[in-house]
Amino acid sequence: MSEQIEQALSKQYEAGFYSEIESDTFEKGLDESVIQRISAIKNEPEWMLEWRLKAYRSWLEMEEPEWAHVDYEKIDYQAISYYSSPKSMKDKPKSLDEVDPDLLDVYNKLGIPLHEQEMLAGVAVDAVFDSVSVVTTFREKLEEAGVIFCPISEAIKKYPELVKKYIGSVVPRTDNYFAALNSAVFTDGSFVYIPKGVRCPMELSTYFRINEQNTGQFERTLIIADEGSHVSYLEGCTAPQRDENQLHAAVVELVAMDKANIKYSTVQNWYPGDENGKGGIYNFVTKRGICHNDAKISWTQVETGSSVTWKYPSCVLKGDNSVGEFYSVALTRGRQQADTGTKMIHLGKNTRSTIISKGISAGRSNNAYRGLVQMGPKADNARNFTQCDSLLIGDQCGAHTFPYIESRNPSAIVEHEATTSKVSDEQLFLCQQRGLDAEKAVSMIVNGFCKEVFKELPMEFAVEAGKLLEISLEGSVG
Amino acid sequence: MSQWLSEVIAEGQRQTDWLAGHRQQATEALANIKWPVRRQEAWRFTPLLPVEKRSVSLAAAVEQHGSAPVIDGLDAYSVSFAGNKLAAQQGSVPAGLTFTLFSNANTEQQATIKALLSQVKPSHHLFGQVNDALMTEGVYIHVPANTVIDTPIRLSQLAASVGDQHLRVLVHVESGAKVAIIEDGFGDADSLNTFVSEYVLDAQAQLEHYRFAMYTQQAMHVGSCHFKVGEKAQLTSNIVGYGSVLSRLDVDVEYTGEFANANVNAIYLLAEGELFDLHSTIEHAVPNCTTEENARGIVGDRAKAVFNGRIHIHRNAQKTLAELNNRNLLLSRRAIINTKPELEIYADDVRCAHGATVAEIEEKALYYLLTRGISRSQALIMLNFGFIQELITQIPNIAISDWLLHSLRERFVSMEVK
Repeated sequence: MSEQIEQALSKQYEAGFYSEIESDTFEKGLDESVIQRISAIKNEPEWMLEWRLKAYRSWLEMEEPEWAHVDYEKIDYQAISYYSSPKSMKDKPKSLDEVDPDLLDVYNKLGIPLHEQEMLAGVAVDAVFDSVSVVTTFREKLEEAGVIFCPISEAIKKYPELVKKYIGSVVPRTDNYFAALNSAVFTDGSFVYIPKGVRCPMELSTYFRINEQNTGQFERTLIIADEGSHVSYLEGCTAPQRDENQLHAAVVELVAMDKANIKYSTVQNWYPGDENGKGGIYNFVTKRGICHNDAKISWTQVETGSSVTWKYPSCVLKGDNSVGEFYSVALTRGRQQADTGTKMIHLGKNTRSTIISKGISAGRSNNAYRGLVQMGPKADNARNFTQCDSLLIGDQCGAHTFPYIESRNPSAIVEHEATTSKVSDEQLFLCQQRGLDAEKAVSMIVNGFCKEVFKELPMEFAVEAGKLLEISLEGSVG
Repeated sequence: MSQWLSEVIAEGQRQTDWLAGHRQQATEALANIKWPVRRQEAWRFTPLLPVEKRSVSLAAAVEQHGSAPVIDGLDAYSVSFAGNKLAAQQGSVPAGLTFTLFSNANTEQQATIKALLSQVKPSHHLFGQVNDALMTEGVYIHVPANTVIDTPIRLSQLAASVGDQHLRVLVHVESGAKVAIIEDGFGDADSLNTFVSEYVLDAQAQLEHYRFAMYTQQAMHVGSCHFKVGEKAQLTSNIVGYGSVLSRLDVDVEYTGEFANANVNAIYLLAEGELFDLHSTIEHAVPNCTTEENARGIVGDRAKAVFNGRIHIHRNAQKTLAELNNRNLLLSRRAIINTKPELEIYADDVRCAHGATVAEIEEKALYYLLTRGISRSQALIMLNFGFIQELITQIPNIAISDWLLHSLRERFVSMEVK
């Protein structure tokens, strides 16, 4: 049985190829001149550069956080290149037809055929390759509805008032070590604005790909949903298989104005490193949304990749009657380490939040849920329900739960539950008796375990997430 | 380093009694310690500012030290300490065990005590090390194998005078032996009290343990109870905490043998601007052990309760059953509760669960009582108090459970129910 587990867990990473694409990459190192160059390449206005430099200066004063239940070699921030762009992007293509076919190939290989997606109406994609956005599909159609969906570098130039008003409003420049670094050196990412009362006509999606060696990816996403609007946003990520660790420090900010509704889904599949823990992406991400009156933000994440994950998508429930949700499946195997969870900050009256977290640990991995539920003194009748379930596969892994509950309001109700279990022999036996092989049985049991989260994902993603889990777990118990 | 800590080190180095070697180890460790700031997890919600501002001075023995409250119907051997000295004793040492005061220990006993000190207490406890360096009096209790002691032993620390007190308790319950020990602390004098106890339970030993941290007002308390639980041994521990300007209790249970079990119940009842911080750590280092921990608290006025319950299941600790539950009621808008039940699990064949809730009394339950003609304030008392009464009624010693019921109710009624 354990041999089969080993075999299954050493399963290859399918998105691990590297593409020969000529690129302009900065030499390694970070100082103010690097930030000035990034800003110059992006043709940014003066205020943006100032903002970056302020962030950089505060970053220099900050210390790398050590409280997470993860263990990794210290990052040498001078050994990273902070900008890389495919050469063919110098004159930015106006439409998909002008995009370098080699680049499109990469996305095809990854199963994100940009052309096809354009044909089959449904999802608008912003494809970010290393430090630049390659192409954004469906822009015209979105523009008809008044929706702005473009690379953030473009938004800084085209919609400076909007960007200036909201960037750093949810995740301040100095929020934490990695957010400060991102604020200084972010290269691209998506910008979304949904006007008042508009229901975004299609799902929006960004696909991140790290390709170049020794680079870090620092994208920044800003989504603003104006009063009464609705949007669903998907995010996916992959990277080539390499022996070195690469840093991915992103920031995502969501602003849900009164009665707005944002659904943010992530399928994270960065390269996790090999079975001995060599290589892989350090995924140190700050994601946070603010909800005004009657607004709702829902985070759904399926985390299967990255060698080290440090990620806590959060909701600040500032407005009365606002709602925050967090649905998460985190799977770790090999030597992966994940410390992930959420923060629900209840400030307004009648605010509600739900946290469902499913952690699956296999191999020699460690999987931790870390969450905060905070009830402020004005959060009358606020309500939180948290459920954290862990599943252990094999006896060399770890599953941990660190929930922080802080209440300052007598009428607020907080409930937290956590359980830990394993795939039991009885469950397996029953499935096998019904003619399923061991692999299918495990996959079925794990899928059942994660069902509550998968049902929150948009349909296309739910299928991908299910498949991803199957690949990662194939035959993991016999 | 804080001024206070350097004074502790200097004071510890000044002592030249038979514990000097032990004190020296502690002062050396303290010299390398980083004084906890808010960013340090263990002291995140409990600021040490009141300690920092103090200067080290041992509480002097006073004539009017008062006495520990009488527990009606409790037939125990009771010893109380005030001003760093034995203040009173009642009853006689139960037959079958040895009871040694550190200050009376002969050379042979001193050697035994030195060998046992800090063998159970993990070294990371800052105030445990302060106690190591400064302990002024201690008790060593030895229960020989297969001896059942029917008379409970009660050890009380009285914060009756201004200054610091550092009491140490060492208990060795040999295999098959059984004993009940009550540790309690009272008083409101401007003082800092460390009260550190270490228990070794050999195979099949049974310990009925009580710790009542009932210090109030200006009496600061930083205490701890540490247990090593051997094969098939049984531990029940009942904890009650009141709050003072700073009151903190650390409870550590480590299983050293298989098929052992521990049952920990804790109650805290806080009013005014009180603070009580309970940290518990259960180390499942071996397979097949069972833990059940229940902590319930009521927090009123401007009080603050901190609970951190950690269950750590080591790599080979298969077949562990562990459950931890923390429930809290907030009575006021200015009261604060910070709770964190933690699980750290490295073995796959275990059943583990924890839960935490923070809430107020259910409207429906209140309505039900109101329709029965019970006044609102009375109904609130019934409901709130019923919440902690569940744990009190589980206490095996009737005299203690009656006394607790009475004193907790009195305290609760005096708290302002909205």
